[in-house]
Amino acid sequence: MNRLRQISLITGLLTGCWLLAGGLAIRSDAAEEPLWQKVVVDPPRVQLAGRDAMIQLLVQGQTKDGQWVDLTQVAHYQSGAKKVVTVSERGMILSRADGETSLEVAVAGRVFQIPVTVSGFSGYGSLNFENQIIPIFSKFGCNASGCHGKAEGQNGFKLSVFGFDPAVDHQALTMQSRGRRLFFGAPTKSLLLRKVSGITPHGGGTLIASDSPEYRLLKTWISSGAPLGSDKDPTLVGIQVEPSSRQLMMHKSQQLRVTSEWSDGSRRDVTAMATYQTNKESLATVDKQGHVSIGQVPGTVAVMASYLGAVAVFQAVVPRSEPITDYPTLPENNFVDHHVHQQLQELGIIPAGNCSDGDFLRRAFVDLIGTLPTAAEARSFLTDQHPDRRSHLVKQLLKRPEYADYWALKWADTLRVERLKLGRKNAYSYYRWIHNSFLQNKPFDQFARELVTAEGPLSELPAGLFYKAVGSPKDWASTVSQVFLGVRIECAQCHHHPFDRWSQQDYYGMEAFFTQVKFKQTSRGEAIVAEGSPKTTHPRTGKEVFAHPLATALPIENPTGDRRTVLAEWMTGAKNPWFAHNVANRMWAHLMGRGLVEPVDDFRLTNPPSNPALLDALAQYLVQHDYDLHALIEVIMSSQTYQRSTAVNDTNRSDEDNYSRFLFKRMDAEVLLDAICQVTGVGEKFAGIPEGSRAIQLWDSAVPHYFLKTFGRPVRVTACTCERAVDPTVGQVLHILNAPGIQGKLSHVGGQVSRLVAKHRDSATLVEELYLMMYSRFPTDEERKNGINYLKNQPNRQLAAEDLCWSMMNSIEFVFNH
Amino acid sequence: MNRRNSFCDGVQRRDMLKIGAAGAMGFGVSLSQIMQQQAQAANRPAEDISFICVFLQGGLSTIDTWDMKPEAPAEFRGEFKPISTNVPGIQLCEHLPLLSKEMDKLALVRSFGHSNSGHGPADHFMLTGYHPTAGFNGSLKPNNQKPSHGSVIARELGPRGSVPPYVCLPKMHNSAGASYLGSSAAPFVVEADPNAPNFAVPDLAPPLDVSASRLGNRQQLLKRVDRFQKAQEVEANRTAKTLSTFQQKAFDLMTSEATKSAFDIEKEPEKLRDEYGRHSLGQSCLMSRRLVEAGVRCVMLDHTNWDTHYNNFNVLKNDLLPHLDSALSTMLRDLEERGMLETTLLLITGEFGRTPRVNIHAGRDHWGPSSAIAMAGAGIRGGTVVGASNARAERPETKPIGPADLAATVYHCMGIDPKTEYKTVEGRPIPIVPGDGSVIKELF
Repeated sequence: MNRLRQISLITGLLTGCWLLAGGLAIRSDAAEEPLWQKVVVDPPRVQLAGRDAMIQLLVQGQTKDGQWVDLTQVAHYQSGAKKVVTVSERGMILSRADGETSLEVAVAGRVFQIPVTVSGFSGYGSLNFENQIIPIFSKFGCNASGCHGKAEGQNGFKLSVFGFDPAVDHQALTMQSRGRRLFFGAPTKSLLLRKVSGITPHGGGTLIASDSPEYRLLKTWISSGAPLGSDKDPTLVGIQVEPSSRQLMMHKSQQLRVTSEWSDGSRRDVTAMATYQTNKESLATVDKQGHVSIGQVPGTVAVMASYLGAVAVFQAVVPRSEPITDYPTLPENNFVDHHVHQQLQELGIIPAGNCSDGDFLRRAFVDLIGTLPTAAEARSFLTDQHPDRRSHLVKQLLKRPEYADYWALKWADTLRVERLKLGRKNAYSYYRWIHNSFLQNKPFDQFARELVTAEGPLSELPAGLFYKAVGSPKDWASTVSQVFLGVRIECAQCHHHPFDRWSQQDYYGMEAFFTQVKFKQTSRGEAIVAEGSPKTTHPRTGKEVFAHPLATALPIENPTGDRRTVLAEWMTGAKNPWFAHNVANRMWAHLMGRGLVEPVDDFRLTNPPSNPALLDALAQYLVQHDYDLHALIEVIMSSQTYQRSTAVNDTNRSDEDNYSRFLFKRMDAEVLLDAICQVTGVGEKFAGIPEGSRAIQLWDSAVPHYFLKTFGRPVRVTACTCERAVDPTVGQVLHILNAPGIQGKLSHVGGQVSRLVAKHRDSATLVEELYLMMYSRFPTDEERKNGINYLKNQPNRQLAAEDLCWSMMNSIEFVFNH
Repeated sequence: MNRRNSFCDGVQRRDMLKIGAAGAMGFGVSLSQIMQQQAQAANRPAEDISFICVFLQGGLSTIDTWDMKPEAPAEFRGEFKPISTNVPGIQLCEHLPLLSKEMDKLALVRSFGHSNSGHGPADHFMLTGYHPTAGFNGSLKPNNQKPSHGSVIARELGPRGSVPPYVCLPKMHNSAGASYLGSSAAPFVVEADPNAPNFAVPDLAPPLDVSASRLGNRQQLLKRVDRFQKAQEVEANRTAKTLSTFQQKAFDLMTSEATKSAFDIEKEPEKLRDEYGRHSLGQSCLMSRRLVEAGVRCVMLDHTNWDTHYNNFNVLKNDLLPHLDSALSTMLRDLEERGMLETTLLLITGEFGRTPRVNIHAGRDHWGPSSAIAMAGAGIRGGTVVGASNARAERPETKPIGPADLAATVYHCMGIDPKTEYKTVEGRPIPIVPGDGSVIKELF
């Protein structure tokens, strides 16, 4: 008999509330739907080994149309012999004594007999602190960052956060506080048990009842001398969550089962000991026992289960509640539409229709080159009858110099072109390298390789300035990982990443790639070199950690030569699971207003893409086209999905995740300022920058400018795209409404409004020109009429035109890309 | 509902705004929705407290003011003499004669101190309760790794009427930002000095060459010209909706009598303005009172020039202390006379104290380990001294009190649970007060 099979930690009935929470409501629902094609109880027979061993039954029904529905909470359970096993109302079986019996499961008018065998009840076998005791602390939040897990501990008792350091926690329990925490001879007198069970007042409340399985296990562990365990004890390999995915209707629920797998091949149900978290509270909530309840918002949602640092995810698709019987056939321009439409149909959402040419024109200009179309450009496009005019426009825009200006601005944010830190000369040459890369449409893998492996004099290799902009091997490792892989590893510097699989070994394995990097003065100026064989040690175990990429095994030595070349090869290799996905997702997010993974730099097992098939397809497309960003942009922008209007219908109203309509995007600070300058015909002057420069050409994010500051220009101190604030503020609104500078542009004698007023004596033409200039479209008849009337009724035609222009500039249609 | 503070009553304010808006601009429909939300946020039971932080940036020399050491050797005690106050047993600096008559309203914490003596990090420590961590760059604006007191207050309590919940005056301190609480908790910054003869809040009023009737025209036009303004699309888009809401709010700000009048310092009697003092600190204190009266929950007043490395005593005696004396003493008296002291928490502090030993330039340098802070109002017992520093004010003699305790105390006074947590963008939960912070109970 396997040792681990004999032990089991479970929580039976922690509180009573959950019984009311899910069970009753669902019971009545099920009664309405009597016709099941199939009902399955899993597992069909139960073998429990050890004291307080447990297993979660899953009862699933399949409807006539093939849909699986969770009946676990609806079924009635009865144990044939309560001395052998008990069973909770939610189908959790708990061992009570050795023996055999059967369990009756009554559901949907059927009765199942489940044979149950319990063996090895007499003890827990050998005990291991990490495997058995730490999960209790995690489950009850004892080692959470808000409690004993925080840096300074709580009331003198400190545990490592999320239990990442078992040796230190064991010491805290057994050695500190003059040994009062544990009394081996009289375990119930131990401070630990007195506190958790509420006998001695505890700031964290009464957590573990003295008749619970956890209490019994803690007591046994203490009376056995509180063993740390031995190196030979099995270690956790991973956990599995069942089911792994489901389509779930609104207001329905799903019980999960979590099974742990150990290095000796054994498996054990840890449903009650795992902790759960959902990635979208609005779509689904989950309770402490792994019971998922769906709300009333359609979409996709992931529920994470975590246990001893291992994580697994359950994914659910929640369709709208009203089924659509005659779902329309949607036109598909390419694979993008195929994947998006498939998901929309599953969700029961009908997308908005195709946008107007005017909207497409403005959208494409702003998204690709950060610039508004001029009135002339708008008129020409709007009167173009060619069927390929949209794809032709995209091709033309990709060739414009503003394309490089705009994308260099974006990547200068992420790659931190900081004048204050780098100095003027270096910051500018670093920026020029980025700018040139976009000007040439350098394949993105090459761009990343040049940056990561930069070696030589900085004057010749400006990509190496990345290493100046970002400070230390740790920062290099976490920034490269965040920017190029979309993976955030900084949590793992100090403890196991709480929502992902990254451990300190992964973190220091990445750091070790960068520890050779140094700056040296050479005859050709300052140079970046990678040399020597520095060692990186694990801060907790003190063992050497060799350089190795994320999610790969620890090698036995460091790579020879410049270790970064190994990293760069791995990163940009065709099989890398993140690199192409990350780039594709960043481009997608920019164009669509929302990443498939959101935030764009937070790829995690527990933050899955909203449409995995689409992201895979985009990444694959990019790899097939040798990381040609233009090709990726063209395929996205030629899709129906990109060309959707912003229109809301009854089915897509509450959806912001699945691309069922085009989302409004507030223009970036620089783009908006340029747009205001363009439509008024009065430019802006920036300190220390050549006259005539546009805001999107500013390589220095520290150029003082009230407008740019107010509209959320990023300061470039982190690699996070979240630095660029897009949320409106009152100050922004007030500024466009009232700033004397903007009024000055409107009324400028040499400005655009004056020119138009002088040129167009006919009010209808003037109104039309204003609409083309401001909104890139012709006015509607009513708008034309209102405009003409206003011009006519005001005593001063110039002032009236300024007023029209002012009101358009303050409108959502102007300030947002739509 | 507090009977004394006419502006914590949502209904009154709503009525007043409608009148102000409709009367002044022929505009002001659909204010009610926003106001309703605001009224709900404002509808807090019990006392509705406001907070004024007078931040003396550079570092007030507290050994020369709040915590004098006349018994210490000359090179420590400096050249100033203590004088008696209206509270027996408490002495203040001889250059704070007016304030010494208001000591019964003021409490001092003399066992204050913390571990940082550098401007940027110490500022962040004092204004957020959190010592900055690796990667902190003090020169950024904002430089917040954690939200400032004002941002937490704005986020927790929301606006009270048409005025913004959190205002910075006469500029924004670098550590006054919202960090991960986002732009809705960021301060409304008044980049202007209330003491300037032509004081006006930037962008709050239309440019001078746009007349009131023209503004009315423009607002009417804006409603018609924007095809999205009332469309369902905007309702269904978070940021577009926010902008639309803020536009409404901006018009409220521009047209509301409450705001206009709050910022119109000219409305104050000349005599009172003189008493506060015709200097930046004095007029900023007066403006702070006006803003709180109009419904602002937190005013962060950032006053610079306290970094007295050179010529400490002359600078203090001739310039800084007379300003502080008139401004604070008048503000305390004024708040009390208006019945606002009980509902207004006042904090006067720098980022640290100054070195107890006078340096060779007759100045004092930065000193984190020991300083004193002054607080008043909102239930704090006036005339209280909490703790003591040692004989030369080098370190706390009694239990040390630090920035985390200060943050806990501020939130406690505001009715905010110091255990409240917010998540960072990475999803990491961070409490608004570090774990080791506790309310300074001796103040109450």
